Amino acid sequence: MTTEQTSGGITRRDFVAISSAAGMAAFIAPSVLGAQDTGSSLKPLKVALIGCGGRGSGAANQALKADKGVILWAVADVFPDRMDSCLKQFEKHPSKDRVQVPAERRFSGFDGYKQAIASGVDVVLLCSAPHFRPMHLAEAVAAGKHIFCEKPMFVDAPGYRSVVESVKAAKAKNINLMSGFCWRRSAPEAATFAQLEKGTLGTPMAMYSCYYTGPLGTNKRQPGWSDMEFQVRNWQHFTWLSGDQMVEQAVHSVDKVNWCFRNEPPKSAVGMGGRQLREAMPERGDVYDHFAIVYEWADGRRAFLNCRQEPDCYFENTDWIAGTKGQCFINGWGPTHVMKDPAGNVLWEYPADAPKSDMYQNEHDELFKAIRDGKVINDGEWMVVSNMMAVLGRMAAYSGQQVTWEQAIASTESLSPKQYIMGPLEMPLEKKPGQYKVV
Amino acid sequence: MTDSTPHSPNSSPSPTRRSFLGTSGALMAAAIAVPTVLTRCRTLADTVPPPSPSESKGKAIRIGVIGCGGRGTGAAFDALKASPDTTIVALGDLFPDRVQGAAAGLAKNPRGVVPSSACFSGFDAYRKVLATDCDMVILATSPGFRPTHFAAAVDAGKHIFFEKPVAVDPSGIRTVLDASARAADRKLCIVTGTQRRHERCYIEAMAKIQDGAIGRPIAARCYWNQGGLWNKTPDPKLSEIENQIRNWLYYTWLSGDHIVEQHVHNIGVLNWAMGGAPLRCVATGGRQVRTEPAFGAINDHFSIHYEYSDDRLGASMCRQQDNTDGKVEEIIYGTEGTMLTTSGSAQCRGRNTWTFAGENPNPYVVEHVDLQEAVRGNAPYINEGKRIAESTMTAIMGRMSAYTGKDLEWSAALADPMDLVPKDPKPGPGMVQKVAMPGLA
Repeated sequence: MTTEQTSGGITRRDFVAISSAAGMAAFIAPSVLGAQDTGSSLKPLKVALIGCGGRGSGAANQALKADKGVILWAVADVFPDRMDSCLKQFEKHPSKDRVQVPAERRFSGFDGYKQAIASGVDVVLLCSAPHFRPMHLAEAVAAGKHIFCEKPMFVDAPGYRSVVESVKAAKAKNINLMSGFCWRRSAPEAATFAQLEKGTLGTPMAMYSCYYTGPLGTNKRQPGWSDMEFQVRNWQHFTWLSGDQMVEQAVHSVDKVNWCFRNEPPKSAVGMGGRQLREAMPERGDVYDHFAIVYEWADGRRAFLNCRQEPDCYFENTDWIAGTKGQCFINGWGPTHVMKDPAGNVLWEYPADAPKSDMYQNEHDELFKAIRDGKVINDGEWMVVSNMMAVLGRMAAYSGQQVTWEQAIASTESLSPKQYIMGPLEMPLEKKPGQYKVV
Repeated sequence: MTDSTPHSPNSSPSPTRRSFLGTSGALMAAAIAVPTVLTRCRTLADTVPPPSPSESKGKAIRIGVIGCGGRGTGAAFDALKASPDTTIVALGDLFPDRVQGAAAGLAKNPRGVVPSSACFSGFDAYRKVLATDCDMVILATSPGFRPTHFAAAVDAGKHIFFEKPVAVDPSGIRTVLDASARAADRKLCIVTGTQRRHERCYIEAMAKIQDGAIGRPIAARCYWNQGGLWNKTPDPKLSEIENQIRNWLYYTWLSGDHIVEQHVHNIGVLNWAMGGAPLRCVATGGRQVRTEPAFGAINDHFSIHYEYSDDRLGASMCRQQDNTDGKVEEIIYGTEGTMLTTSGSAQCRGRNTWTFAGENPNPYVVEHVDLQEAVRGNAPYINEGKRIAESTMTAIMGRMSAYTGKDLEWSAALADPMDLVPKDPKPGPGMVQKVAMPGLA
């Protein structure tokens, strides 16, 4: 454990945390505005953005920066105002000439994604609330589009099975499928996990990963909003939409656990969690505000994962790995990436003077380069495991039972509402361990 | 999927406490509700005979009991079993019916017959027990009172069986540390109720770790996950504070919350394996199922990450939620293997393999044998006061971190002025506690 807090800079996490229009507008800070972009002779790559919140706006910005031939061609969001506020941010963007989204290519409603994918684009950026991702992904793969797929990719086991099928289909079609597990595209993390793979730390026996942070913002209910609109606009506070913190946010830490354990799914998980601030923050749907999960592998190796979204508490987002030859400390925000032997001698350290890069930008740089070079990146096989491990942890915490990987992936519980219409929708109830069952 | 690891509750060779706790449903709830099984549920280990009393003959020891609930009465029986030269000479409890119940129960043993003139009730009953000519006292009231009783017992010159946990807040811990040092000066023997320290499978497992069986310990994990415990309906004839004491589990000022009251056992084992108390911790916890006012304001789950010296990890989980999976155990990860321990068994895997196979005498009796032998001078002087204060403080620190959402340094936690227990309790209003709201406290 280290004392450093998370980075003060704007990160993807901040996009999610900032829900006000003012916060949204600030995402392209003046410091990142480069010289005016005059376009390029490259063959255009038309892009559709699906999901126009903070993350979608950020991804579109990164796509535009990644490749001079990128044209933002279409957008989709359940809510028209989200599309408008997103596009408004690009009015003074250096690449504003490559933002070509007239009113007829702004598609709203629950089905808008279909029209956006069918609008003649080459690439889609899937950045909506997580609940909708499996259907968006399936549609994009069926249409043969290259894909940037934000995490999480699904919120329940039916979603897992759908995404597994989409991954296979994408592979068969040689479609690029880049996941939003951004640490995988962070140079210091990549170097660290390469050292692990080389055996510098021996065999990893145990890992502790934590994501202690504050609560996410809320959108106050406005007159005229239906239950559905209220919930979708506050998706981060509803398990059916976000998957809960475990799946929506701490999944980044789970992904590093999966990376360390070489994409081998755990045998089972035991977990706990709760909604301790329910009286203080009643507007926060049915999600928990803290989780603690222990993952166990068949040979007895374990990983410990703790996360929290409570205000003014201790903040930490780091990883610690105990191997047979020493320990590894990772604080991506620090940044600290170091391996030490039991006597405290440094076995390996990511050089402090090594080049820094923006992992969010790297994702898009790599994706568009692969498309240009005719290569195929497909993150599918490991991204579904990381995502499902997070779902497994949530199931263990909600149920209070030891849940096996097989039980989790075979679960028939669908979190989907009966229908996607703006109208009445029951407020979901928080889960009670010992009462909620994994089915 | 079949759980094939040796420490699966399903593959336990015999019904142990773990499998008992793992049993779900009303049957288990009913069984746990019996006060005598409180948090030290008896197991098959009870059927293993204690060391032969003939080995333990010596000076007679006269014992007073302070706190006559299930645990106090159980400890008194265990003390009588430990050697033949022991007698129970005084009983004290806040509640007269508790004293009468204990007296009636203990009278089944001729050495447990206590005259009514030596049965005391009320908030000052402990002083009356200490004023008798007993050589030793069993301290087994609600934990909140323990530091006061302990300090008074030391000052009265008594040897002490010191039930866990020994305090509920840092002020209480400091009282215990001071009194433990005074006890050492006067050679008063102190054994605590963390019986794993006196259980053969644990002692052998820890000795193997000391000998390097798993290499260097680098991480450790422990659980005390189980269903709910008993709950007492308030008695309208009693004042609010008396009703809180009657239902003491659910008030932090009395029990320390279940992490302190119960999980201290496993946390103490982590400290044992890791070579001392942790340097700091960060914790989460909450009240997810047991939300009714009948359960006071304590949490029903905690997860703590402790940091031991050299950045080594200690991970703990505890919960009291009905119909959830139960597990009570510790596992120590070393550079060359792992050691799994639980009541009645221990197993080493990795470069060295070993499974505890010897006799495992009932540790609840062994702890009294060890205490009595030291009192008689047949064994070296024993004083576990400082160590149990540290184990208890480790649990208290975890609770403090979970309640506040702050990470805590050991030194800061130990120096914290928090003092939850009234100095001069008397019948009247209860203590007020709100449900912890991390970050909003």
